[in-house]
Amino acid sequence: MSAQAISVALPRPSIPPTLLGGTWSFARREFRDAMSSRWFVLYTVAFTVLAVGVSFLSLSGSGSHGFAGFGRTAAGLLNLIMLVVPLMALTAGAGAIAGERERGTLMYLLAQPVSRSQILIGKYVGLAVALTCSLCAGFGVSAGVLAWRAGGVGVRSFVVLVGLTILLALAMLSVGVLISVLSRRSSVAVGISLFVWLALVFLSDLGLMAGSLIFKLRVQEIFALAALNPLQSFKMGVIVSMNASLDVLGPVGAYASHVLGDAMPWVLAGSILVWVTLPLTAAMVIFARRKSI
Amino acid sequence: MRGALVSLVLVLATAAMGQQSVSIIHDRIERAQPGDSLSIAAGVYQGNLEIRKPVSLEAQGLVVIDGMGKGTIIDVLAERVTVRGFRIRGSGDSVTGEDAGIRVLAGGAIIEGNTIEDVLFGIDLRESPGSVVRGNTVSGKDLEAGRRGDGIRLWWSHDTMVQGNVVRNSRDMVFWYSENLRIEQNRVTGSRYGLHFMYSHDTVLRENELEGNSVGIYLMYSNSIRLEGNRMRNNRGPSGYGIGLKDCDDIAIVGNALLANRVGVYIDNSPSAMDSTGLFEGNMIAFNEVGVLATPNTHDNVFTANAFVENEEPVATHGRGELHLNQWARDGVGNYWSQYAGFDLDGDGIGDVDYEPQSLFGQMLASEPNLRLFMHSPAQQAIEFTARALPELRPRPVLADPAPLARPPAIEVAMSGARGSGKWMALASLGLLVPSALIVALLGRDRAFAPASTGGGL
Amino acid sequence: MIVAEHVTKRFGRAVAVRDAGLNVRAGEALALWGSNGAGKTTLIRCLLGVTRFQGRATIGGKSVKRHGRAARALVGYVPQELAFHDDVRMGSAMAFFAALRRVDPARAREVLAEVGLTGHERKRVRDLSGGMKQRLALAIALLSDPPVIVLDEPTSNLDAAGRGEVVQTLQRLKEAGKTLVFASHRPDEVISLADTVIVLERGVVQRVTTPLELWPTEKPVQVVRLYLSKASEAEAAQTLRDAGHAVHLNGHGLCVAVPRDRKAEPISVLARRHIEVRNIEVMDDVRVEEVAP
Repeated sequence: MSAQAISVALPRPSIPPTLLGGTWSFARREFRDAMSSRWFVLYTVAFTVLAVGVSFLSLSGSGSHGFAGFGRTAAGLLNLIMLVVPLMALTAGAGAIAGERERGTLMYLLAQPVSRSQILIGKYVGLAVALTCSLCAGFGVSAGVLAWRAGGVGVRSFVVLVGLTILLALAMLSVGVLISVLSRRSSVAVGISLFVWLALVFLSDLGLMAGSLIFKLRVQEIFALAALNPLQSFKMGVIVSMNASLDVLGPVGAYASHVLGDAMPWVLAGSILVWVTLPLTAAMVIFARRKSI
Repeated sequence: MRGALVSLVLVLATAAMGQQSVSIIHDRIERAQPGDSLSIAAGVYQGNLEIRKPVSLEAQGLVVIDGMGKGTIIDVLAERVTVRGFRIRGSGDSVTGEDAGIRVLAGGAIIEGNTIEDVLFGIDLRESPGSVVRGNTVSGKDLEAGRRGDGIRLWWSHDTMVQGNVVRNSRDMVFWYSENLRIEQNRVTGSRYGLHFMYSHDTVLRENELEGNSVGIYLMYSNSIRLEGNRMRNNRGPSGYGIGLKDCDDIAIVGNALLANRVGVYIDNSPSAMDSTGLFEGNMIAFNEVGVLATPNTHDNVFTANAFVENEEPVATHGRGELHLNQWARDGVGNYWSQYAGFDLDGDGIGDVDYEPQSLFGQMLASEPNLRLFMHSPAQQAIEFTARALPELRPRPVLADPAPLARPPAIEVAMSGARGSGKWMALASLGLLVPSALIVALLGRDRAFAPASTGGGL
Repeated sequence: MIVAEHVTKRFGRAVAVRDAGLNVRAGEALALWGSNGAGKTTLIRCLLGVTRFQGRATIGGKSVKRHGRAARALVGYVPQELAFHDDVRMGSAMAFFAALRRVDPARAREVLAEVGLTGHERKRVRDLSGGMKQRLALAIALLSDPPVIVLDEPTSNLDAAGRGEVVQTLQRLKEAGKTLVFASHRPDEVISLADTVIVLERGVVQRVTTPLELWPTEKPVQVVRLYLSKASEAEAAQTLRDAGHAVHLNGHGLCVAVPRDRKAEPISVLARRHIEVRNIEVMDDVRVEEVAP
């Protein structure tokens, strides 16, 4: 074949992008799309404002005493995080593939010299970095408030809280991406992810409470079932990091602390990690095996 | 790290000083007259020391008595003995022998300024009335909680003063059958019960600091005890209480601080006798999971001018019930409740509506403790919200404070190490903000693709 | 360059492409000819390996199934209409694909200049006209100077001027030795570009032929497109074939190749059989001699 380019100099003959390079291109593109998305910016601002607000409020009653340190703030932050972060990550993930599919851009991307898993992983990484930055902004500002108002009490717990929150966000992002792969339209994906959010935040806990009352579940059963929910694992992980034990969560927590001992933080983090890897793996398999676009 | 350094210095010093037997000290006691004061020269003395004469032993410089891991290190068998300024280490670990750092079996002893480490029991006073235990530091052997001994123990030792001691990693600082004690300014951390009273009456506990134990102060079957200005923080664990009261009459708890404990005050059948009362006045009860936890039959306690600040549950019952048989205000002065949603229109400092906490989740917890697992979650908020919206679901209030304070009473709380430096938190703040800002700046920027013709960036 | 054997694609029970085969030599231009729904787009997707199918397809000897990335690296793809995030600026889009294809930004500028889009880099994709979008798509396809260009009805959304530009560019590419595969339902495009025509109907390859065979005549011909009622199309086609005309049904009316001095003849043939012609369109000039192999 004549190698005469349509214009001047011929660049190198076509080489497919490297596995990492291609993935990174998508990650970067996804990151920038997220950063310029109105929703994402709104979530970030909302999370930051709420986190700072909670930090202020939880310190206002005790500011003169300074004993609350991080403990009280954490209790307030826990509720906020468990409401906002899954919502943020689930909806961000839900748009990832379904949105491209709906706009018709997915086909165009697939026709490039990249594999489906590169696109998926690239998008996941891009969104994960975006979410992490967004959370770090919120936590960073509230850490500033804490440093100013409450001193350095509980830095370690704070760092653990940030780490576990990011892990939780990654898990919810995985679930969101899985939903996205399964949905044809992004409105459907967002709808399903809202339902999953409701289920994880409220329904599963309320259901488990009712179940433990009706079926007289034993403590080990309640703990095992609760730890399946990444949000509960997250919460227990944060409380363990602050109190070195789960006793504050009553007999079930005491049982778990007794049985698991020092392994507890790892078991809980592991439970969240399963929620990171399993849905993402499932999403990759399903996306790769998908017959249509 | 610092401990390791001290040990290293100690080892080097010991090597330099050489080692000798306690028989040197024995010999000097043998030659001394009762009432003599003996200065013991710096050095390491190995073996178990028995003091059978009323003498005063004063350490000159660094004097180590090393029990070599066998038995009790110093036995005080005579009355009016003083042991001052020693470093005492390495008792045996026989639980049946109750191996101790110092065991006193006679009255009038003064145990002062000693550092006692690697021991099963620290200082054990048996039938030693009129003694003084002051300014000692005790740290227990690194054993699991169940096998530890007591840091300081009094047994039938009335009229004793225990002041300014520091106890770490022991079982309890415990007082058996001892009356009219002065327990002041001690600090107990990392132990089971900070201060533990068994059948010991008529005592004042003042300005002690109990932190990170299972229970700060546990009073059992002990009457007429006054707690004043003590500070209990971070006492947690399955039965973690700042203060625990079991079958105690006429207790006065005044001006104490109970912070960030699992339970601030646990009241179990106290007062138990007819015509006795319990008084809680001017305490700061803040940031605990439960402020006051009481068995449902609890009665005749008076709560006035306390500040209940940001406790997850201010007052709860252990099992289903109510606490209306206690007085939640005295002479028109109730307590400050940070959860109080009422108002004070006439500005007299007293809220215009009664404080009657109603928590559906709290009520569920009282009957189903397992549900506490769901504390701190949005589901809990959802339940409380539902109860607020639907009056028929609202539980009966656990208590009624007819005169809630509109503002927290001024309660002076000083505690060591409470605040900590904001340096690390500020560093954490920067550590989060700067990298994420960098990432956004680097990745969020458009790629370097400037059209040659326009020359501008994109 | 491109070989496909026994390509079959099913969507559920519907068969989009059945047992299709083709072989495109390097430098050859292949047209896929057929009505809407004949399976042109699906076949292209199979050839690019962006959808799962039964059978075998290779590009430059590389299986699109097993080495999809390497195979697609040889291809520049131009969709029917460029689908891209509407908010993205053209320059950013170019930059993304340049990074993905691992070519120098200078090359991206070069290609943009080639398709005449220099100076529009800051425009958002949403603000581009149809023709500009198609030129952008072409520019992206040419970024890495791939040996194969695959186009899915590249001119269907363009006006006459836009069509002319695209066809001209493709002609230049062909002269430069590129292998072209394109779907089209415009005879003029097929005649001016294609060496080989594959006629698809309902997913089945009807015949592999040349434009000359499809529209045979020794004299300069013109293609006339006749619009009739749907019901009479089949009968009309048969009538015209019986009268010796080259006829093709492609879903956009009946295409009849006629000598330039006898354009009205098909109408009178049909009138004799009482078949009503609603409208008539004379396609651009085509000189058969020039396109004959």
